[in-house]
Amino acid sequence: MTEPARESKLRTLEEAAELIPDGATVGIGGLSMNYAPMAFVRTLARRRVKDLTVVAVVAGMPIEWLVAAGCVRRVLSGLVSLEGFGLAPRFRQAVQAGTVEFEEYSEHSLIARLQAAAYRLPMMPTRAGLGTDVLGLHPDTMRPVTDEVTGEAYVACTPLPLDFAVVHATAADTRGNVRVEPKLMWMDAEVVRAAANTIVTVEKIVPESSFRDNPAATSYPRFLVDTVAEARWGAYPLSCFPRYGYDGDFFRAYVKAHGDPAAGQAFWSERIDTPESHGDFLAANGGAHALLAISRRTV
Amino acid sequence: MSDAPYTIDELMIATLAREYTNDTRAFNGAVSFVPVCAYLLARKTHAPDLVWAAGSLAVDAQPKAIAESTLSDALWDGATSLSNSAYDFWSYAQGRRYNTFAFRGAQMDTFGNVNNTVIGSYDAPKVRLPGGGGMADLGCMLPLVYLWSTTHDPRTFVEKLDFRSGMGWGDGGDHRARLGLAGGPQLCVTNLCVFDFEPESKHMRLKSLHPGVTAGQVQEATGFDVVIPSGEIPETPAPTGEEVRILRTEVDPTSARLREFR
Repeated sequence: MTEPARESKLRTLEEAAELIPDGATVGIGGLSMNYAPMAFVRTLARRRVKDLTVVAVVAGMPIEWLVAAGCVRRVLSGLVSLEGFGLAPRFRQAVQAGTVEFEEYSEHSLIARLQAAAYRLPMMPTRAGLGTDVLGLHPDTMRPVTDEVTGEAYVACTPLPLDFAVVHATAADTRGNVRVEPKLMWMDAEVVRAAANTIVTVEKIVPESSFRDNPAATSYPRFLVDTVAEARWGAYPLSCFPRYGYDGDFFRAYVKAHGDPAAGQAFWSERIDTPESHGDFLAANGGAHALLAISRRTV
Repeated sequence: MSDAPYTIDELMIATLAREYTNDTRAFNGAVSFVPVCAYLLARKTHAPDLVWAAGSLAVDAQPKAIAESTLSDALWDGATSLSNSAYDFWSYAQGRRYNTFAFRGAQMDTFGNVNNTVIGSYDAPKVRLPGGGGMADLGCMLPLVYLWSTTHDPRTFVEKLDFRSGMGWGDGGDHRARLGLAGGPQLCVTNLCVFDFEPESKHMRLKSLHPGVTAGQVQEATGFDVVIPSGEIPETPAPTGEEVRILRTEVDPTSARLREFR
């Protein structure tokens, strides 16, 4: 007797990016310089999808690329910058010009909103934002409340359901089991749990036995994951701890080029937007030489 | 050794470091070179048991150098524990397992509230700043908040913020207590002076002047009325030669801290 065939969730980056329609609300994993699904973001940007609402707790480069490609209508985030390298030039210019709307939240209020969605509760409480102007920006989604019993003040954050979560990870099998090695550290699990549909890019596809051998290490069980795409160096130019660090040369060159609109546009076109495949993109940015320079441990 | 040559960044970092003790349980946010150096300096000098979580996640990290991003895993080397952000870090922060945080802002007011959101109006900003990030959270959650600024001028120290991204003493007086928030800003270290906060009103008060700076110059560089205690204002104690040596050679050999002094 043959066993029934099992579904494979493995797709190419391009197939995975096709899943996201115009106007979708998309949560992006990672934080600041770390662990965002950049290969997917670039593929999505090249598709010129429109009117996205992008949710990213703390981010920089993913927002930059999606804004540069004209994909974004609205950003919900706590912080958008390139950290010590500088401000996020495309994002800043777009918000100042009014072409992209920025709904600023604090980090924890966004996390609380994602958790409320994950748990299907009407709100999640936090002390985040008390006394600040952040509350005034969001009268409907961050409600100041005084607890009836204790009299304590808190902020009730309403659910933020996502159409899609896109996160990066270390390994997956074709059924959608996913592992972040050595463990999940960012807010990616909140993004995944708040989403109706989850796309995970991974450094490598491994057999299911790899999960059965060490089930305690699984970060997302397969029923949380809808699509898996392999993208070795898929967080580049961001870091993927502990395998590789961020590429400081890329960030420096990006910020420097954007000091001049024509140079910024040329950088965007040549090094990010034009390369066809993920491999082409890596090659356009120094290829093996650049990757060797940021490698931390034997993969 | 106390008259050893030093620069303003070293004076500010040593001043902050001396505030920290073995009971300090701290972490850092983005672009926080000055406090990261201060935690490391304190740990290497008088406070070996101080807890510092690099980029808020990597407890007891021992970075060989400080990277361009203080939120990046490049700062995690040598850590004894790596936290998960949502479950570990945010419970330690809101649960006051951590007790110390430091932030700066593009604007700061007399009560130690900060703005890192917009210059101008929120809906039509003249300058869209990166955003408050965790300021609105951590300013509320942590009882010991330290502020720093490398640009002490009337554009930074303003009468009224364009946006309150991070909570200091709020509207002053007992505003924090009324909201049920513990503690509040302790100190603000700038490139001209050190402020503490007047205990009742919570207005910034001149605590010490960096060498060569007068109270008049501080007032001139500040967009609100500075509380100036009567009598002579002490000079900010200089870093010792040993502190300067450790800072330059062990804590921050690549001078990442100077990114904040451009």
